[in-house]
Amino acid sequence: MGGGILSGIPYTWDEGLVVLLSVSVLLLLVIIISVIKKIGVGKEFTIAIAKGGAQLFVIALFLTFLFDFELWYLLIWLLIGTMILVSGYTSAKRATNMPRAYQITTPAILIGSTLVLVVLAVSRAMPMQPQFIVPLAGMVFGNSMAICSISLERLLREIRVNITAIETSLSLGATGKQAMEEYGRFSIKASLIPTIDRLKTLGIIFIPGAMAGLLIAGTDPRLAAEYQIIVFLMIVGGGIVTALLVTYLSRKRIFNDAEQLSEWVYQIKK
Amino acid sequence: MTGFLEIQDVKKTLDEKIILKNINLDVKKGEIIAMVGPSGSGKSTLLRCLNRLTEIDQGQIRLDGEDINKISPIILRRTINLVHQESVMLTGTVYDNVAYGPSLFEIINKNHIIKCLEDVGLNLNYFEKDASKLSGGEKKRVALARSLALKPEILMLDEPTSGIDPKNIEMVEKNIVNFSKERKLTVIWVTHYVEQAKRVSSRIANLKDGEIKKVMKTSEFQWEGVY
Repeated sequence: MGGGILSGIPYTWDEGLVVLLSVSVLLLLVIIISVIKKIGVGKEFTIAIAKGGAQLFVIALFLTFLFDFELWYLLIWLLIGTMILVSGYTSAKRATNMPRAYQITTPAILIGSTLVLVVLAVSRAMPMQPQFIVPLAGMVFGNSMAICSISLERLLREIRVNITAIETSLSLGATGKQAMEEYGRFSIKASLIPTIDRLKTLGIIFIPGAMAGLLIAGTDPRLAAEYQIIVFLMIVGGGIVTALLVTYLSRKRIFNDAEQLSEWVYQIKK
Repeated sequence: MTGFLEIQDVKKTLDEKIILKNINLDVKKGEIIAMVGPSGSGKSTLLRCLNRLTEIDQGQIRLDGEDINKISPIILRRTINLVHQESVMLTGTVYDNVAYGPSLFEIINKNHIIKCLEDVGLNLNYFEKDASKLSGGEKKRVALARSLALKPEILMLDEPTSGIDPKNIEMVEKNIVNFSKERKLTVIWVTHYVEQAKRVSSRIANLKDGEIKKVMKTSEFQWEGVY
């Protein structure tokens, strides 16, 4: 069996197990340093690497099957559906006080990410093959989830800290939408800053994941750079739509029909 | 006489704790009624119920005969306007703050905004100042001007002069009493200072443990039982 899409790697996957075992010396290094310096991350790191590794192998087995499966377009929905649900639930955990937050995060991530995937498909940046759809969808959903989480967390923090200002605006005749507009803007901006900062330092401080992968696979560096830019446009595009939606949908929970702050908002910890 | 604002059998609980109970009060148009009582007696909560920042659990509140639940909360809050105890400035200049309310509904009349600022003793020099950088007393006055700019029918003041220097307290008190007379502005004035209540109001209501214990004419006010 060959190296698959990453044909630039000069060994097969089973030979790779030996390589992996050799590199695992780094795990030993973490454990030794953790014990000597009493950092206390050795156990946690070992469990995390075992769990993460197992998850990767499961998905790898699934992808191996999917890539060779004739009716892959039927099965891929299972994977994408799981991505949507997991990302929605994970992001909702950031809003502990908000009731049924997943009903906000899930559609926000779904719509933001789908929009981007459609643009990628139409522009032919994402050929309609599982080898492209799965990793790109994973990247879009993963990044939209991260942006959704930051946006929601920041929004709720802003609302809590500025609760008197919001009530003042309401008292002056503002609607909930008008009263929280400024804080919605802050949260959207805050959620995109890490991505924009990464964009600014592209190629200077680090070579990002997608480009690194393509280079390892032997792709022309110019094409790899083009693709990396596409990936970042995809992340920012999906992210801004997701952040906008999560802010919009949250507003309907933060305020009730009488333009009052909902009871749960007063319970958010400062 | 039926009041302009009628509060009947109002009860409010928060986290299963009774904050207000058996609240009955009629407020006449153009009247200034002071509310005095210890901290935690429910004065601020009552004001929040009157402009529907929060809902009552029982009872009824009527404005000019109409149940306030039937009035749009946006319109209600302009009509029964609350100056909060904590004078938080909105982002922007003093002008932005005073113009905020009117700007939500109409084209701003700059002269009206200037007049509102003058009414609370703030001159043109304050116009472009960053509102967040004002002193506590100045913020109180901007908050008051911000409410006056909406031309409310009922003005609810929650400790409006705390933090203001004595000279300006006198000016603010005098101006509000004059507005009330000139514009038939009804004022509900929450204060810790009984002396202030006696200076500005025609009646004083004493709130204690979430109940109105007494409502009396200011001229007949007695300290006994208050606080």
